[in-house]
Formats: sequence, C-alpha cells, structure tokens
Amino acid sequence: MKKSLKDFTRKKQMYGRMFILPWEIGFVLFFLQPLVQSLVFVFSNVTVNFDEGVFETKWVGLSNIRHFFYEDTVYVDNLVDSLTSFIYTIPLIVALSLIVGVLLNQKFKGRIVFRSIFFLPVIIATGVVMTYLQGDATAQAMRSGSSSGNGIDISNILMSMNLSENVSSTLLGFVNQIFDLFWDCGVQIVLFISGLQSIPEQLYEVCRVEGANKWEEFWYVTFPMLSGTTLLVIVFTAIEIFTDSGNKVMTYGFNAMRQNMWWEGPTMLWVYFALVGAILGLAVLLIQKKIFAKWAN
Amino acid sequence: MKEKQKKVKLVAHKKKQYKRFTRSKAANFMFVTILLVFGLFMVLPLIYSVVTSFKPLDELLAFPPKFFVTRPTLYNYTVLPSLLDNLQVPFSRYAFNSIFISVAITVGHVIVAGMAAFTLSNCKHKFISTVFWAVQVALLFNGYTLGIPQYLIFSKLGIIDTYWVYILPALQSTTGVFLMKQYMDVSVPKALMEAALLDGAGYYRIFWTLVMPLVKPAWLTLSLFAFRDAWAIQPSGTIFSENLKTLPVAMNQIAASGIARSGSVMAATVILMIPPILVYLVSQSNVMETMSSAGMKD
Repeated sequence: MKKSLKDFTRKKQMYGRMFILPWEIGFVLFFLQPLVQSLVFVFSNVTVNFDEGVFETKWVGLSNIRHFFYEDTVYVDNLVDSLTSFIYTIPLIVALSLIVGVLLNQKFKGRIVFRSIFFLPVIIATGVVMTYLQGDATAQAMRSGSSSGNGIDISNILMSMNLSENVSSTLLGFVNQIFDLFWDCGVQIVLFISGLQSIPEQLYEVCRVEGANKWEEFWYVTFPMLSGTTLLVIVFTAIEIFTDSGNKVMTYGFNAMRQNMWWEGPTMLWVYFALVGAILGLAVLLIQKKIFAKWAN
Repeated sequence: MKEKQKKVKLVAHKKKQYKRFTRSKAANFMFVTILLVFGLFMVLPLIYSVVTSFKPLDELLAFPPKFFVTRPTLYNYTVLPSLLDNLQVPFSRYAFNSIFISVAITVGHVIVAGMAAFTLSNCKHKFISTVFWAVQVALLFNGYTLGIPQYLIFSKLGIIDTYWVYILPALQSTTGVFLMKQYMDVSVPKALMEAALLDGAGYYRIFWTLVMPLVKPAWLTLSLFAFRDAWAIQPSGTIFSENLKTLPVAMNQIAASGIARSGSVMAATVILMIPPILVYLVSQSNVMETMSSAGMKD
C-alpha cells in the first residue's frame, strides 16, 4: 500500500517536472543566466577576448557604481529626474483609472463600446506604431495642446498667471504627458472594473437603508473594498512605468549598451532596478500596513 | 448556446432587484460628459493617425498643423506598393516573416506558459513556490537589460540570423505564466481534477481536455498580448540577412526616405495597427474575465 503511494507521488512529480520543463529551460537560458552574468558585469572590469569570443571579467568591487555617482555627469540627474516624475505619474494614473473604472461600472447603453475604447491603447500603443505616433511633428504639437484650432496655448495661460518658473514648467510637463498618462491607463481600468464587480451588492443596499449618500457610499464602501485592487494597480502601474524603455535612465543605459560599453550599461540599469525595487517594496509595505489597515477598521 | 443565453437573462433578472436609484438628469449629464471627454483622449491619437494618412502633402506640412483633413486623398495608400518595390526584398517576404513569427510565438507561448502554469498551480512542492516567486520578481525586469549576455547565449546556441532568435526568447515570458497560474487557481476546481484522475485520465489528457478548455479566457487574453508584442518585434543586432527581417523594419525603410513620405508612413502605421485589433476583437469578451482573476492574489 505504502509503496504504491510512493510510486504515485513519484509519478506525479515526474509529470509536474515534465510540464514545467520547457518553460524552465527557456527561463534559465534566456533570463536567469543573462541576469546573473549582467550582475557580474556590474562588479567587474570587462574586456572582450576576440580570439575566443568570450568576455573576460576582473573583479573590481564597487568602483563601477562609484564611477556613475561621482564621475558621470548625467547619470545622477537622469536618475533623480526619472524617480521624481514617478511621484506624480503613478498617483495620477491610479486616480484616473479609478475614476474611469467607477464610471464604466455603471449601467448604461454602449458600455461595452466605451470599455473597448478605453482598452484600445493597450493593444495598439506598442512598438513601431507608438514610435511614429510620438515622432510625428503634428502629433507633438497636438500633445502640447497648441493645435486645438482656436490657439489656446497652455504655456501662455500659465505665464499670464505669474506662477514661478518651476511650477509652470512642471505643469506644462504634465500637460505634455497627458496623452501618455491616459494611454497608460488601459489595463488598470480593467482591473478596477473587475474589482468593483466583486463588491457584494448587499453592502450598497445597507448604505441606502442607512441613508448614506453617494459620496459617503464611495468613501465608506467602494474605496475600502477596493483596497486590494488598488494595491495591485499601484504595483502594476509602477512596474509598467519603471520598465518602460522610454524613460531617461533606460534610454541612457541602452545607448551605452548599443555602443558596446560592456559594463556601463548593466551597471546603470542594475543600480536603477535596485533603487526602484527598494522604493516599490517600501511603498507596498507602507500602504499595506498604514493606510489600508486603517481603512479596514 | 441557448442555455447560456437563458442563464445570462436569469442573472440580469436577479440584478434588476438590486437596481440602484436612478440618477438625476444633471448627474446623468455630468456622467456622460466626463466619459466622453476621457474617451476622446483615448481615441484622439488613433483618429489622428487615420485622418493624417488621408492628408495630401501640403496639408501634412502645413503650419500651424490642422487636425482634420480638408481635401482627403488616397495617394498615401496607393503610393505604398511602388515605395515597397524599392525595398531590397519583396514586401511579401517581410509580411510573411512577421505573420509567421507572430503566430509561432503566440501558439508556442500559450502552450509553454500553460504547461508551466499547470505545474505551478497544482504542485505544493517548496521548489515550485520558489519558482513562482522568481516569476513575480522577473516581472520587474525589462528584457532589454539582458541584451549583451543574451547575445552570447544566442551565438553559443548558433541561432543568430535564424527565425529561432525571434521565437525562443519570447516563449519564456513570465507575464504569461503569471496570468495563467492565477486564472487556473481560480477557475479549475481541484475536485474535478481528482475525479478525472480517479477515472484513469493521465496528466497529459487532463491538461489538454480538461484544464485548457476551462482556462480558455486566460489563453485568449494571453494570445492577444503575445501577438501584440510579437507583431512589433524588431531584431536588434541578431538578424543580418534582409529576408529574415520583419514588417517594422520595412516600415523604417519607408520612413527613412524623408519627410515627404510622412503620409505614407502614417498609412503604413494604420495598416500595421489592423492585425492586433482583429486579434482583440476575437478575444475581447475574455480579456475582462482574465484580468479580474489576476487581481485575486494569494
């Protein structure tokens, strides 16, 4: 009896291993191994031995990283730039998709059409298509809000408001990015809608019986019930933005890699990923522990 | 089919009991306006590129730029074939490459990710949970970061300058495994699998005839994402023979012929958008369902 049970478990294990094998090979070969190697590059002096076609690495410790923080003129600026832009893009995207998600969750005619429209950018906004859309001169003019026909130029409005240069340039940057922001919302909206649909209808009924208005309903039922989804959306948005190859640190790193600067590229990107990972982890912990715990009570 | 419709109706009927109070007219108006404005932001770039592809040259270069076209022309589209004649390799070759690679990646990725997710979802071994943790961490990394070491592996495997160099690295994308695993956890009842095992079905059969049909929404969604990414693939230093390159490369060549061709570039962009949209229309109703299961963590 015992023996056959063991056989059964072994058979099960064998099948499990067999099923995961194809993916595992690819994962190790094309992801894990390169990942480790690029991490080695970060801490070493890399030279190429062209005769044998291999990289020769010599351990140099932290000096590569030090180079970027003390000698490189642009890297730290880029890093700070990217990280600060996340501070406003992530909350904006989350808020926008929450609003749209709540609106699209209502019952009205043509809801499916609207949902498709809001998901459309996810499908087409990749690769070449996006490059040309962004590269087009007219599209750029449109994005900066100056081609609305009547000549409403946002930068002029801002200037006339006597704002300090810092504030107005930040605002202008935000207006420039508004299309990108909207186009980054697709998946998040879907996540919010599905989160909204999993809220039991009875809770709203209780609200109505107790005489809560819509505003209170949102803050005391919808929002707390969505806390899990919100966290997921925050993490998803952060990952989407952090790994977007368009941001400054990434572009700088890729250019270095393209010019065969063997250790520079990996070092820049690893430092960036390490920072981002740490920030993301901290943020998630903080949100989970402080804010949502409070909401739940 | 009819039964399904009945079910839907029943659910709709149930929902009606909980119907909320109707909104006031002002609120309704606000609601529609906000949605329309937001929706406009979403489709504006799309409409713009379609409109632009019909613009004659003088309107393309007009300053200040106009959004709408006043004298629409098909010239940008009709000139495409003659532009494509100038390419080094016939256009059909690029198209074939793109379609072949996209389909191969989509099908391969769904199968590979599905099988991996099957194990991840059903095994409780410690090793397996470590693997799943690795999957989640891997979501954080942009694939480009690994460019140089990956190239070494490609050259060791001897797959540089073949179709494999497109297909193999795309098969192990972690997003797919994550999505499929989450969906399987929710939608495949453990009891059903046990019943199938007792009835003498092997794991192989369970996977193909039980699990895969049950998680159809997940793999349809996955194929949408996989196809989208594969369709935009551009080789970076791994493909040298021109007749193995993809459509985006051909489009870059059209764009390289200067600003006078910007209309044709838009036309080509519009044409390139069509296949992913078609795939979306096929998988559309399933996307929502899958994404909702991705939300059910743990």
